[in-house]
Amino acid sequence: MSLFLQYLAAGIATGSTFALVATGFVVIYRVTGVINFAQGVFAVLGGFLAYSLLHAGVAHGLAEGLAVAVTAAIGLAFGLVALGRRGTPPLASLIVTLGLAIFSYAVVITIWGDNPISYEGLSGLLAVGGVSMQRQYVLIVAAAVATFLALALFFGRTYLGMALTACSSDQRAARLMGIDVWRMGLLAFAVGGALGGLAGVLLTPLQPVEFDSDVGIAVNGFAAAIFGGLVRPATAFAGGLVLGVAEAMVAGYFRSSYETAIALAVMLGLMLWQASRRGPTEE
Amino acid sequence: MREGSEPLLEIHDLVVRYGVATALDGVDISVRRAEMVALVGPNGAGKTTLLDTVSGLVAAAAGRIQLRGRLAQVPEGRRLFPEMTVEDNLRLGAWRVRDRRVDPVYELFPHLAELRRRKAGSLSCGEQQMVAVGRALMGQPDLLAVDELSLGLAPQVVDMLAAHLQDLNRRSGMAILLVEQNARLALDICSRAYVIEAGRIALTGPSEQLRRSPEVQAAYLGGAYEE
Amino acid sequence: MAPSARRRRVVVAAALAVSLALPPLLAPDWQSLYVFVGLYAIVTCGLSLLMGFAGQVSLGQAAFYAIGAYAAAIPAVHGVPSVLGLFTGPVVAAAIAAAIGVPLLRLRGHYLAFGTLAFQLIVLTFIAEAGDLTGGDIGLRGIPPLGIGGVEAVTPLAYAYVTWIAVAAVFLVTGNLVRSRPGRALRALATSESAAAAAGVPVAAYKVRVFALSAAYAGLAGAIYAFFLSYIAPGSFPILLSIQFLVMAAVGGLGAVWGSLVGAAVVTLLVQLLQEIGSLPGMPTQIPAVLSYAVYALVLIVVMLLLPSGIVPALTARAARRRRDDVAPTEATAGDDARASRLSSVL
Repeated sequence: MSLFLQYLAAGIATGSTFALVATGFVVIYRVTGVINFAQGVFAVLGGFLAYSLLHAGVAHGLAEGLAVAVTAAIGLAFGLVALGRRGTPPLASLIVTLGLAIFSYAVVITIWGDNPISYEGLSGLLAVGGVSMQRQYVLIVAAAVATFLALALFFGRTYLGMALTACSSDQRAARLMGIDVWRMGLLAFAVGGALGGLAGVLLTPLQPVEFDSDVGIAVNGFAAAIFGGLVRPATAFAGGLVLGVAEAMVAGYFRSSYETAIALAVMLGLMLWQASRRGPTEE
Repeated sequence: MREGSEPLLEIHDLVVRYGVATALDGVDISVRRAEMVALVGPNGAGKTTLLDTVSGLVAAAAGRIQLRGRLAQVPEGRRLFPEMTVEDNLRLGAWRVRDRRVDPVYELFPHLAELRRRKAGSLSCGEQQMVAVGRALMGQPDLLAVDELSLGLAPQVVDMLAAHLQDLNRRSGMAILLVEQNARLALDICSRAYVIEAGRIALTGPSEQLRRSPEVQAAYLGGAYEE
Repeated sequence: MAPSARRRRVVVAAALAVSLALPPLLAPDWQSLYVFVGLYAIVTCGLSLLMGFAGQVSLGQAAFYAIGAYAAAIPAVHGVPSVLGLFTGPVVAAAIAAAIGVPLLRLRGHYLAFGTLAFQLIVLTFIAEAGDLTGGDIGLRGIPPLGIGGVEAVTPLAYAYVTWIAVAAVFLVTGNLVRSRPGRALRALATSESAAAAAGVPVAAYKVRVFALSAAYAGLAGAIYAFFLSYIAPGSFPILLSIQFLVMAAVGGLGAVWGSLVGAAVVTLLVQLLQEIGSLPGMPTQIPAVLSYAVYALVLIVVMLLLPSGIVPALTARAARRRRDDVAPTEATAGDDARASRLSSVL
């Protein structure tokens, strides 16, 4: 039983980072219609930046915060390229984000080389009701939940956040109000960059990252995001947790080589079941 | 009305194309300050394209548009943000201006004050149209363009909204461009009208005169016009 | 209609003649490259058909490439005449596609993109874990060369011919399909599924058939690949390969049969060129990787931003515009414009 709880804790922790990446997918997709396949890159860059800052003697917390701020700026820059000229179609933008992801490989290898890196997160164990779990797990879950609540407040309560929501709800109406949908798209990319970067700085102490770790991170984040149809942040967040827990259970009780495949098969099964109940899932 | 003052909106020889199709072909329209003007015509004649071009959503291929003031549009189908509250919808209407106070709209439509916390998507069509008009007014326009005010609404609701628009026009001197398939309504409340067909202005003149024109009667008023 | 059909026939015959005359003139390294351009063109052609004509996205096309490779290699390793692999590869890939297509194609747009991606990861895991059959993670070694009755294909030149005959066959089938009655129905499917259904097109059945056909193409290419390299492993078929196929299809232009050849050639040659430059003597060790990633990415970004509908549609649109200056606009070109713009909204 306590083994089960340990797997559960580990699953919720990694699931929380998937949830952050997934939320980034959703924020960008809702506003711009672009599936940003460079979403995993933000996490990788966040991890590497925090690593360098920590090695340069910057204190924990500040280093991670700075790394997230830089990934937000990188997100903005990615948006600037991916959205291209106004009116660039989403498929072209999607391929451009793939190009940006590959470009980041060149940058990461040039600066940091092609070896995996990691750094110490919160060390030590925390005992909760007889189950001991890593403090880093608790930190990850707390950070992810706090971020999600902050985002909900931002999109629902602030004027700027409402304008972003308006763009995702009805672009034509938003443009008629004078909202610049293109600029809002850039803002969404910046938010997506920050979310990915946060996932990266939290995840790197648990599992080392290298220049092309973004593919695995993006696949998991995309799987979670698609769970909510790419438009519902709460469902995407839940999808991330489900995926993380499913992978931890498969790895714990069965074989770790099957973790991603079985978790994805479960997601796919749920999706097909939904589609057969509701009729084909309409976009 | 001050004669000789420059019109609020002047459109000269406007051409708009979608790919190889020509949507507007040499359109001339002007709206003076404090005027109520109707633009009538069948589906697909280019009415919404014209509004979108003035709003800057669609690029013109040729011609000139001069707008000497602020424009706000009530779009066809209302296009509220359904998952947001009435009040948030209204506040977003003020994106271009600094003043986000919604009280003036509630004074105009007291009923909306009761619905302020409701999700816009849960309202009736008539209520939604009130929100849509209110949201446009939040932009403090000099010219209010209303695209298909009457579409899908009960006659009493249309009359009520039309009365509100006339009232706004009289009291605050806001110019109104009413784009309608319902020519009877448009000619009733506007002083002047343009008839647009297949991307060209087919007829123009005072509403009185158009109402008596045999072409307009046959095509838009379903026979003789009754007072 | 008749002159354009004749012109098309001349162009096709010329392309065929050039592609078959070219291999002996190339150095062996370039012959291998030529094989890969052909294989990728075959896979991309199927993907382009699936996306451009049936409006369905696949992010897992490399899964069928892998299935074709293993379905051809496993019997051959166990002594079955290897030439049968050219049959088992596409057939097994198509059969699996047809079977999973029935539930999977109920999903649309991004859901389908995810479904195909998940399918590939599941297939790769299965191959890695079914070690007795597939050789597992280590891979399947000692795949015999392609041969029939004592004649074996062992040189790159031989595989260049095998591959490009396959390319010609695939293009012939695709070209005929696109111009046939079902092809027109497919085009209707890409623009609007509900409109196609209303016009009496059996939408679900057509989607599954195109999915299976695209898988058969990938399976055929995978089979040739297995015999050509004589060694395959799960690592030969990463998600990045599926993405590469998507890139080739998009760069060439979706729904344009020739686009798949152009896309495959441009991307493959670019990657090769960058590797050659990077491995010139005197370059620091990390330079090949950095250079090839950076330049590949930049070319991809610039092409997609400047020609968002792909190279071939952009060129044909330019040619059509030039013709339109002489004659009145035709319905066909207007329709093509509309199709190109809608295709860009597939994802």
